[in-house]
Amino acid sequence: MTFLDLQTRGLIQKRMNTFLGYFILILVTILISIPIVALLLGSLKQDPDLVAYPIRILPSRWMWSNYIQVFQMTPFLKVAARTFFLAFTCSTIVTFISGLVGFAFARYRVPGSAPLFSIIIGMLIVPGIVTLIPQFLVYARLKLTGTYWPWYLGALMGSPYFIFLFRQFFLTFPRELEEAAEVDGCGPFRIFTQIFLPNAKPVIAVVMFFAFLGIWGDYLTPLIYLNDNNTLLGVKMATGFKNPQGITLTTISLAANVYYVLPMVIVFAIAQRYILKGVITSGLKG
Amino acid sequence: MTRFSSGFHSQFIRPSLLSRRQRRILSFYLFVSPWLIGFIALQVIPLVLAILTSLTNYDGLNFENLKFIGLENYARALRDPDVKFSFGRTIAWLFANLPTWMILSFALALILNQNIKGRGLFRTLYYLPSIVPGAAAIISWKIILDKNNGLLNGLISLWRPGTAIGWLSDYALAGMTAIAVWTGLGAGMVIFLAGLQGIPDELVEAAKIDGAKGWQIFRYITLPLMTPVIFFQLIMGLIGSFSQLNLPLLLVNVGLTGSGAVPSREIYLYMIHAYYQIFTSRRYGYGTALLWILFVAVIILTAIIFWSSRYWVYSEQPDEGEKQ
Repeated sequence: MTFLDLQTRGLIQKRMNTFLGYFILILVTILISIPIVALLLGSLKQDPDLVAYPIRILPSRWMWSNYIQVFQMTPFLKVAARTFFLAFTCSTIVTFISGLVGFAFARYRVPGSAPLFSIIIGMLIVPGIVTLIPQFLVYARLKLTGTYWPWYLGALMGSPYFIFLFRQFFLTFPRELEEAAEVDGCGPFRIFTQIFLPNAKPVIAVVMFFAFLGIWGDYLTPLIYLNDNNTLLGVKMATGFKNPQGITLTTISLAANVYYVLPMVIVFAIAQRYILKGVITSGLKG
Repeated sequence: MTRFSSGFHSQFIRPSLLSRRQRRILSFYLFVSPWLIGFIALQVIPLVLAILTSLTNYDGLNFENLKFIGLENYARALRDPDVKFSFGRTIAWLFANLPTWMILSFALALILNQNIKGRGLFRTLYYLPSIVPGAAAIISWKIILDKNNGLLNGLISLWRPGTAIGWLSDYALAGMTAIAVWTGLGAGMVIFLAGLQGIPDELVEAAKIDGAKGWQIFRYITLPLMTPVIFFQLIMGLIGSFSQLNLPLLLVNVGLTGSGAVPSREIYLYMIHAYYQIFTSRRYGYGTALLWILFVAVIILTAIIFWSSRYWVYSEQPDEGEKQ
């Protein structure tokens, strides 16, 4: 009897816990979506709706045209194309270089490799801002402000975070793979490009994603290096677009923000399994 | 495919002249050279130059009267009331942000670690804010938290007309914490969750057989085994909070109606002060001194946490060899 009682009590307890768990999870989901819903609703309003009193949650007229006006009234497309080009080229470069360096750290144990790897680990916890300002002083002295050189030079050195991700992944590759290739007379660079890289697609996807997002979503770096003529989307989105009379097109700028966020969300939704795995690897084993 | 490859590596490295070991050393340094050169040229040298800059009155242009002024910039920082104030705000920000973020993301991870359907979906949804670019995130939050036209004050006004609470001015610390937690919740949770899933089921089962209740399992099994993850998150969160510049800068620069907002003293963080010294006032020497002071403060704090870790962080000695 008592045994049964305990069991039913346990069952009820378990049901309650699951119910409570779902309740909290759904509540958090709603709370998290509020800013995104606010942005979406805002982008469909007319400017006066935003300052209406009492407030208007829903648009007085659903301005789907805002999403077309973005292209007609603002230089969004031009700035987006510029940002996309820079982010895409730089993330390709940084991915390739980080892969190469990660490959070296995964496969070579030579004098000096261990201390160099501890520098990589150390750099993982140094936030970018620490080097950003000293770098700015150097680039300013070299008259490279106002150009995209800081991005390209930064990409050419790879990134500790991505190097670490590649190294961890390459460590799991079986030795036989490259030994067979070596017997065939394959040089180390070819082993990297023809055996390691083609088998590292999940990591390449993660690194490309974060490298791209790092430039596409960046606000601070374009703010300090570039000027209004060649700046990137992050800065443009923060300042908002104005009409020729100098009046801010608020809701049209909000629609531009939706265009700004959407590509990242779509790519994330497709590759989320790999991306979250990458977050965990770099986070836990760091 | 490999048929054509035989001659490639011998272009630089002649097998006949170098031993296999020497060739491997050469290849290694060749492969890491992009990073190594970049590390020295783009990080070490600028940091060393920044130390030197902090000992001068450099303002970017004054090469004819550039003076070495020793530790004067550092002494000045200690006298600067804004340094003291902004350091205090940074500590306040640290205490508002770090515990809130850690407790909430840990709690969510605990819930998701149960046998719950749709776990992957929730995990993805919670991570989503982390990939929203800063500028777009701040704009979205301004729609809600703006003092005069925000939705939150608007909703409160339906009940108490004329409410104008400065969520991003008078209470900017609270507002900024909400935004930071929103952004970082998913990332923190994903890492806690991975840690929780690493806890062996046998341990929990054994404790249950011994009659341990939910809270006891958490207190005596989950929590101790999670201390390495908590330690890691604490260090990263501490460094991140101290060097926070992006969020307060965006909050100052982004205005919902495009005009820009009034900078709030609530979130006048240390890095904001240093940023203004460098980019607005062009006090490069003084500004870099401020950066170095912060850097040293962060290193000391990190060292203290590392030192304390042996008293509270669980470490599994025998399994060391299994880790990669």
